[in-house]
Amino acid sequence: MISVQLILLIIFGLAAIWFGWRVFMTSSMVRSALSLLGSMVAIGILFIIMEAEFLGVLQIMMMGTEMSIMAIFMMMYMMDPGGLGQMDMYHQKNISIAAGVIVTVLIVGAAFATDWGTIATQFPGPHEQNRLLGMEILKRSMMIFETAGVTILTGMIASIAVALSIKNSVEK
Amino acid sequence: MTPFLNGFIITLLFLSGVYAAAVMERWSVTGHVNWGGPVRSFLLLFAREEIKTRKHDKVFFETAPILFIGVILLTISILPFAPGSVIIDLGTGALFINAALVYVMVALLMMGWAINGVYAMIGGWRAIAQLIAYSMPVVMVLTATVMRAESMFLTDIVESQKGLWNILYQPVGFILFYISALAIAFLPPFDLPTAGGELAGGVWADLTGARKLLFRLGRLTLVFTVSAAVVVLYLGGWMGPWLPDFVWTFLKTLLVAASFFAVGRFMPRIRHDHLLEYNWKYGVPLALYNIFQVGVVLLL
Amino acid sequence: MELLITALIIAAVLFGIGLYGALSQTNLVMIMMGIELMLGASMINLVAFWRYLHPEAFSIQMFVLIAMTVMALEGAVGFAIATQRFRTSGSVEMEESAELKG
Repeated sequence: MISVQLILLIIFGLAAIWFGWRVFMTSSMVRSALSLLGSMVAIGILFIIMEAEFLGVLQIMMMGTEMSIMAIFMMMYMMDPGGLGQMDMYHQKNISIAAGVIVTVLIVGAAFATDWGTIATQFPGPHEQNRLLGMEILKRSMMIFETAGVTILTGMIASIAVALSIKNSVEK
Repeated sequence: MTPFLNGFIITLLFLSGVYAAAVMERWSVTGHVNWGGPVRSFLLLFAREEIKTRKHDKVFFETAPILFIGVILLTISILPFAPGSVIIDLGTGALFINAALVYVMVALLMMGWAINGVYAMIGGWRAIAQLIAYSMPVVMVLTATVMRAESMFLTDIVESQKGLWNILYQPVGFILFYISALAIAFLPPFDLPTAGGELAGGVWADLTGARKLLFRLGRLTLVFTVSAAVVVLYLGGWMGPWLPDFVWTFLKTLLVAASFFAVGRFMPRIRHDHLLEYNWKYGVPLALYNIFQVGVVLLL
Repeated sequence: MELLITALIIAAVLFGIGLYGALSQTNLVMIMMGIELMLGASMINLVAFWRYLHPEAFSIQMFVLIAMTVMALEGAVGFAIATQRFRTSGSVEMEESAELKG
């Protein structure tokens, strides 16, 4: 039984995997940042295919900003000229490949071995989803969401504190 | 009137709106109204030889103009012109506007990078700083309009303004969205990525021929799109007496676009550090205040 | 069923690629990219579980929001560390920070 949803899932899943693979295969820093952006956008489209419209649009929006920032930081710290960089920056390559393959095989095995029970067919529409998600956030999971807010504040303060340049007044 | 005829008329109105935006853009630079000018520059760019810079990044060089115009067409496709005639009515339309406009920045970054020239690259990085800064207040003031409509459907947001337009209900949000729309469309007071005087054209400096044409056309469509977004979110969309509904949307959109270009004609270009400073220090807190004010008014 | 399994396989492969990248790269920013890929894969899993197993449980969607928060925070703090690292030693290569071993 092949449905449109399955075909779209496979197409965009392959796109996500291909872009994700390109991240570590290109020799240009900006290209790998934008490949990661492509992978993240494909993940967002996967969310939309799986009917989680709000999360998909949010993912596409947030990653656009985040990966552009990543591109500018790559450029600042690596300084490769446009599409000319030739680098080989790997260590423990064989162990990494082994770890990646083993973990993938384990997860796929677990996915096949588990009995998933019945698959749900009824789900709320996008507008209803937005309402229910808001209710969830503002009622039952209020505390957790507030914690996320406080964590963001902590992260902002921490990153500014770490990135400040401390002038040593002794050496003048 | 059948829906098909309606759609045809709306498409014609849209194309003529983009043409009017082109005429107004010329006026904002030169001060003369020249009705035939856009046709002439279209033909010129169409027929001109394409010069490519040495060692450009081939992938980005080809994809960036298409991404630029593609995301703008996606944005226009979710904006409602009349009650029945919206191409895709998304359940998260208000968020989608910002999500699509973020990719304008990505396209500019890709182009600035791909050209492999100094001016273009500085223009690309400037575009990142400017558009990240100004998409923050955009998403916050959008939240305030969504709070009033209690729905993210853009048609519901227009319907919620039946009694009182949002421009009077949340004036702070309107001003912030207006300025941010200018900055997102990188129009003259905020045209730092493509600054004529200091960067010699910035991101577009080394482009000729069809790619430049795509970028110019995309920018005009972008101006028309953000004007339509201002109308839908703050000026009551299709509401108005006597005339048919889509005519009202069109007239309001043209008026907003004209005001954009008038601001560009009479304002000097803002300095880059001022641009970021004003936004992060005053724009974002004001947007938060706007959310607070709308929340209080809604609860009363 | 095959929809759920497909989504899980996609997520598993992305997670493997992310793990490979995070372990094998020597550059701090590239390591962060690997971690982002792994988080993205876990988000696919969460959305697939929400859609195909428990469409009524919205705490799963909220969990995805928390994962996005973690991604953004990881980016911010990671870039701050990279900035400080670049300022003190002039590079963000992790092979060159062996002095942190103490």
